[in-house]
Amino acid sequence: MKFIIKVYIALFITILLSIVYLYKSLYQTETSLNKNMEALFVAQAREIASNISQHLHSHIHHDAYLELKAQPKLRENMEHSLMTVITDCYKYVYVLYRDKAGNYRFLLDGSKTDKGEFGEKFSVMSPKWDEVYKSQKSAIIYQDKLDTLWVTYLEPFIIDGRTEAIIAIDFSVGFPKNVKAATEPMRDILIYIFVLIGLLLLILLYQTILNYKTKKESFIDPLTQVYNRHYLREFLDSINNDSYQLIMFDIDYFKKVNDHYGHDAGDYILKEVANLIKNEIRLDDVLVRFGGEEFLVFIKKEKKNADVVIHIAERIRYNLEKEEFSFNDMKIFLTLSAGIALHLEHFTSIHEAIKHADNMLYIAKREGRNRVVYSKSDTYKHLNIREINDIKEAIETDNLFCEFQPIYNVRSKKIAKYEALVRLRDNDGGVVYPKEFLETIAHTAVYRDMTKAILNSVFETIKQESVYISLNLNFSDILDDNIFELIIDELTSHSSIAEWLTIELLEYEPLDENRIVKKRLEEIKRYGVKIAIDDFGSGYANYDIFNFVPVDIIKIDALLIKKIDKSELSYSIVKSIATLAKELNVEVVAEFVASKEILDIIEELDITYAQGFYLAKPQEEILHDDNTV
Amino acid sequence: MKKLLLILLLLLNVTVMASAKGLSAEQKIYASVLGALYGESRVKLWCDDEKKAEMLSLLNNIALTKDKSDADILFVFHSLDLESDKPKFVGSYALLKHYKNDVIGGFYWQKGRPNLLFLRSNLKKQHLEVGAALEKFVEDSF
Repeated sequence: MKFIIKVYIALFITILLSIVYLYKSLYQTETSLNKNMEALFVAQAREIASNISQHLHSHIHHDAYLELKAQPKLRENMEHSLMTVITDCYKYVYVLYRDKAGNYRFLLDGSKTDKGEFGEKFSVMSPKWDEVYKSQKSAIIYQDKLDTLWVTYLEPFIIDGRTEAIIAIDFSVGFPKNVKAATEPMRDILIYIFVLIGLLLLILLYQTILNYKTKKESFIDPLTQVYNRHYLREFLDSINNDSYQLIMFDIDYFKKVNDHYGHDAGDYILKEVANLIKNEIRLDDVLVRFGGEEFLVFIKKEKKNADVVIHIAERIRYNLEKEEFSFNDMKIFLTLSAGIALHLEHFTSIHEAIKHADNMLYIAKREGRNRVVYSKSDTYKHLNIREINDIKEAIETDNLFCEFQPIYNVRSKKIAKYEALVRLRDNDGGVVYPKEFLETIAHTAVYRDMTKAILNSVFETIKQESVYISLNLNFSDILDDNIFELIIDELTSHSSIAEWLTIELLEYEPLDENRIVKKRLEEIKRYGVKIAIDDFGSGYANYDIFNFVPVDIIKIDALLIKKIDKSELSYSIVKSIATLAKELNVEVVAEFVASKEILDIIEELDITYAQGFYLAKPQEEILHDDNTV
Repeated sequence: MKKLLLILLLLLNVTVMASAKGLSAEQKIYASVLGALYGESRVKLWCDDEKKAEMLSLLNNIALTKDKSDADILFVFHSLDLESDKPKFVGSYALLKHYKNDVIGGFYWQKGRPNLLFLRSNLKKQHLEVGAALEKFVEDSF
């Protein structure tokens, strides 16, 4: 729209300047024509006046007034002579003398109309007459104040150095009028063209404004009066990724508002929240209602303050939390969750950036809502990892599968159970490891689908092979309402074989909500599922974990086992973990057993289970006991 | 658009009214002449030309009369056989010459230029003066 307005302005100015230029050119042509014609007529008048002067000299020798007064016949003859030069252009030709009082009076008048009599007083109305009388030089008077005359040419009649009279020739106004009349239509045409163009431009402008208004209305969400998805599509086509940062807001537990207070209350809340967000952003920022209770805000980047988007998001979250919404005498308190994409330019498309903000929003929801979540690096586009759609496609086309690594009983050297390790098969048949795709799908619906598929696959294997299988999950999965619900659903569906399952929890995430974790794990354990702590002894290793996790098994961190035959410290740590486990009546598994030396030490420390490449590599098929070490 | 048209019409109307109220150059001269001769007092004026009479009636302190004997001044544009001792002011050089013995002055256009003239002797006969402003138009003899 701004571009169209600029084009209109440029067009209008160009046309205006062209018209002004044409008008000025026409005026200059007219003036030049007038001047040239005036010079021509004046030159002719000068010749005529000179002839008249010569003619007067041939009859008048001393005193023009006295001699002409005395000779009426001579006056008559001379006036006849003057009459011969009267034309349409030279309207009046006459000779005046100045009396002693300084008044001008007729000596001769060759005019065909309005003829002055000898001695009749004549108002000359210009000091130039006196100047000519005095200077004895010819002069031109422009008769701007007279309607019928254009110019008067004055020529002094001199006898013996005295100015006896002035020969005057009045030019009719007809000629300049004719010139003006000839150019007037052209001037009028220019004005008409200008007016027509002006009208056309006005009509076009009116149409454009109408179009703009119609388009704008189609871009506005009727409920909240902020932009809708139609606008977002247009906006995304024109957006420069470098110029904006992105926030995705979602009203927490909005469904409850609709359920408890009714849809009118829900609509009211949406309007109020939209207004609140609108009031907290700037004119350059763009607010879009993205979905039911989701809002997208494109925040114009500030060069000096890269974190402006975070401040704005936090301010909106804080203000909304403090706001008390009143609807039909009901007080409603709400919170917002927000996900931010800080660097849109890091994404291959703006849609990817929106997905990222959505993922951050998901994390905010999962971490308890009423918070703003962002990733400083907007990481996952920088890592050489799989596209989320590829992973989704792999799951949908059964290219998600498990490899099973046996876990041996160290004493009996028999397979006690298996660890299921998730894998993807890519289009080329290659195996893709979790490191390459888990981060991409974390906190997305794809992750949930994958978890469900893996649980199904594991239970299918248990059913077919009657073997114990352990499966890796994160503590965050237990805290995630959706994933936990899914686990419980799967356990319920496979309750008869659930006791064959062990869930290995990776402990690298800090745990702030221990009570919930404990409660949920106890619920899982009610199905007979065993709980193992993976990578124990690394990272956030904390003996406090036994207070809130109902642990059945601990798997000692691979790094400790790897160095157990060379590092006394690793040996001591593993030994102490084994002792502790015995005290707590918890089973211990040593991972990463890569050699006979390590296995011997594990056996010496009385660790029950071991797994590692020395014992058996992970493989798609279940390895049975005939392949014992 | 309608508003614009109304404004244009109003402007046009005001312009027409203003020009109607404004005096022409000729009216201004007559006003100066009558002001110089009679001051601020109301003047009863007789005129033998309908259009000129209409024009003169627009001047301040002028009352037209059809009765010459009731008039303070006679404005003569055509009549050549006017017999009255009232001051005469004429509209052409020919009439000025015709009534040269009792006309107080005249105003007429010659060669597109306005010509104003008073005759001192006749002004005296009527006990009239034109004042300093118009003194330069007073002729001692004709």
